[in-house]
Amino acid sequence: MFLINCPYCGERDQSEFSAGGEAHIVRPKQPTELSDDKWAEFLFMRKNIKGVQLERWNHTHGCRKWFNMARDTSNDKIHAVYKMGEKPPIK
Amino acid sequence: MLNYNSTIIEAKEFSDIKISEVEPTLKINLRGKNRDFVTKIGKELSIILPTDPNTSSGNKELNLLWLSPDEWLIYSNDKNNLKTINSLEDKLFNDISKTKLGSVTNVTDHWIMINLKGPKIFDMLSAGCPFNFNKFKDSKGAVTQTLLNHVDVIIHNKDINNLNLFVRRSFSNHLWLWMNDSARFV
Repeated sequence: MFLINCPYCGERDQSEFSAGGEAHIVRPKQPTELSDDKWAEFLFMRKNIKGVQLERWNHTHGCRKWFNMARDTSNDKIHAVYKMGEKPPIK
Repeated sequence: MLNYNSTIIEAKEFSDIKISEVEPTLKINLRGKNRDFVTKIGKELSIILPTDPNTSSGNKELNLLWLSPDEWLIYSNDKNNLKTINSLEDKLFNDISKTKLGSVTNVTDHWIMINLKGPKIFDMLSAGCPFNFNKFKDSKGAVTQTLLNHVDVIIHNKDINNLNLFVRRSFSNHLWLWMNDSARFV
């Protein structure tokens, strides 16, 4: 159990949130011209690093807004929380 | 809408907690983003739309709760007859939804309003809720959406030791029974 600082509502318990996977994955501009391998790479392949990772989260049981988070996957320490569309404050 | 049935039948009173259902009350969900929407709502209801997170505003009849940066809930203080509920909805729908300023949805039947009173209500809620009520307790008009015994709820701090809690209709009986159980042990 840990607290997450929702950029809209403030500090809330982690159980109110749901994780939405890796953030900042850019959709290819011309999907029709991509090879199947490249398309699969975009759809399925995600980094799963040990250390600080940029992730998307949703405050499901609160304001229902999406936001981004820089979280250390090894100890769940949250380094930064920022809104959708904003640039990551670290790295 | 025409036949109002509730699963919650009676008000319950415990030593320091009183729980009762207040229904049918008017509830309308508002969604909108631009400034025109905000001013229009202010004019229609003569209540300023709360833009600060976790706050509310209101007058004698209606309350406006902040749910998210572009979502609000209107609810009435007292029980209404279903005709007044429909007339306000129609008015807002014509002026806001039809002019594409925002969206208006009647959620009267979607949420059940339960009133909690007494000095020990926060102890009772804390038995099944991860939310920190320390600051919430003393700030009149505060609003929060959280989980209570794994069920989504909206809690509005109406007055000192006087809360209005909204729960989805399908979960209302379950939560009502849980609250009755929980209230016996605080």
